[in-house]
Amino acid sequence: MQMVKNIFITIIVFWFALLVFMPKQELYFTLEKELLKQDIEINEQNIEEGLFSLNLINSEIYVKGIKIATVEKINIFTLIFTTNINMKSLILDDSLKSFAPKMTDVANISYSLFSPFIVNLEAEGNFGLLEGNVNLNERKLRIDFSETTKELDSIRSNLKKDEKGLYYETSF
Amino acid sequence: MKHLFKSKFFKQLFPILILLILVKLLWFAVEIIWLSPTGIGHDDEVSGKSLYYRVKLTPNEAPAPRKKQVVKIAGSIKDITLLAIYNSADTTVITVEYKKKTKVLSRGDVINGFMLEGAGSNFATFSKDAKTYRIDLIKSKKSSSSRSSIKSTSRPSSSPSRKPAKAEGEVVDAGDHKIVDRSLLDHYAKNIDDIYKNIGITEVKKNGKLKGFSISFVRRNSPFAKLGIKRGDVIKSINGQEINSYNAAFEMYKNIENIENLTMVIQRGKEEMELEYEIN
Repeated sequence: MQMVKNIFITIIVFWFALLVFMPKQELYFTLEKELLKQDIEINEQNIEEGLFSLNLINSEIYVKGIKIATVEKINIFTLIFTTNINMKSLILDDSLKSFAPKMTDVANISYSLFSPFIVNLEAEGNFGLLEGNVNLNERKLRIDFSETTKELDSIRSNLKKDEKGLYYETSF
Repeated sequence: MKHLFKSKFFKQLFPILILLILVKLLWFAVEIIWLSPTGIGHDDEVSGKSLYYRVKLTPNEAPAPRKKQVVKIAGSIKDITLLAIYNSADTTVITVEYKKKTKVLSRGDVINGFMLEGAGSNFATFSKDAKTYRIDLIKSKKSSSSRSSIKSTSRPSSSPSRKPAKAEGEVVDAGDHKIVDRSLLDHYAKNIDDIYKNIGITEVKKNGKLKGFSISFVRRNSPFAKLGIKRGDVIKSINGQEINSYNAAFEMYKNIENIENLTMVIQRGKEEMELEYEIN
C-alpha cells in the first residue's frame, strides 16, 4: 500500500512540476514559428506567464500578411492531456464580414488527448451561440449555430439548415 | 541530543526535491535544444507605393462648358453601332463604332450628324432635325456582326437610368478597353468561392519569397475569359499598385467597391501588357 501511495505521489508531483516549470513563453514562441510556416502570425502587445497558463494581451492575427482579427485576450491553459485556448473580444476585420461574424465576445477552443482527432469550438457573440468541431481525421469542420440574431444575416448565405438549426460545414 | 529536523520527514521530502530538480533540468534541456527563445514580431508590410495615381481630369461635379458643335447633316444612324454605355447621375458616356473606328462620346457630342442626347441601361438616344433616334446596345462581341436595332421616335429622349442590380453581368469589349458590369464585380466580391470556380491563381515565388501571382487556368466563356486574361499571365500591378503580396491583393479586393477604372499590367511571356477596364 505504501508503495502505491509513493508511486501516486511521485506521479502527481512530476505532473505538477511539469506544468509549473514548463517554459510556456518559449513554447509559445516555438508555436509562433510553426504557425509562421503556415503563413499565420500572431502579434501580441504583451505576454503574461502564469503558473499554469499563458495570456496574450491585445493580439493581432495575420494570415498571409493580411490582418484578419484582433483579440483583446488569449488565454492558453494546458494540463498536458487537455488544452484550452480561450479568447475574449475577438473582432474580425471588416472585409471578412461576409464570411464570419464580426464580433465574438468569448470563444473557446479545446483539445484533449483522449479524442486526439477532434478539436472542439464554442463561441458567443452578438450573432448568438455557436458550437462545433474540427475532425482532423476526416478533415471536416462543422459549426452549429443557436439563438441566432440578425447579426448573422450577413453570412446566412454560407450556412445550411437541418433539424438542429443553422450550421456551417466545410472540408479542408 | 535533540534533532532539529525530523529525519523521517526529510527522508520523504528529499526524493520530491530531487524530482522537481530533474523536471526543471528536463525542461531546461528541452528549452536549450528545441525551443525558440524569442518571438516573431509582425513587420507591417510596406505596401509598394502606387507607380502612378489616376487623376480625373474631367470631374463630374462641374463639367466644362461645352462648345456648341455644328451639326453636319450627312450620313445615316445605321452607320453607328453602340458598343458600351456608362451612365451615372450626371454623366453619360457611350462607346460607338463608326466607320470601323471606335469612338467615345459624352452627352452633346456629335457623330455622323447625330447628337448624343442620353442613354438608358441598354440603349442610347441621338437627335437630329428635331427627331430622336434610339440605338440598342449590342449583346456581346460575338453578335457584333449583327446590326444594332434602331428605332426612330418622336418622343423626347428618356433620362439616363442606372442598370438594375443583378447577380450576373456582362463584360463588353469596347475596343481599346473593356466595360465590366458593376453587378458582376459585386457578385464576385461577395461570393469569393465563385472566383476560384472560374479562374485559378497561383503564387509566383523566387527563392522561397512571394513575388506575385499568375493565372493557372481561366474557365472558357466565363466572365474572366472575357476580361482578356489567359493562362500563364503574371499579374504585375493593378491601378499602379504592385501585386507582390497577399496583403496588396487583399487591399485591392477591399477597395473594389470604390473602383471605377481598373488598369491591370500583366506579363504574357516576355511581353508586358496593359489591360484597361471600366467598371460601369
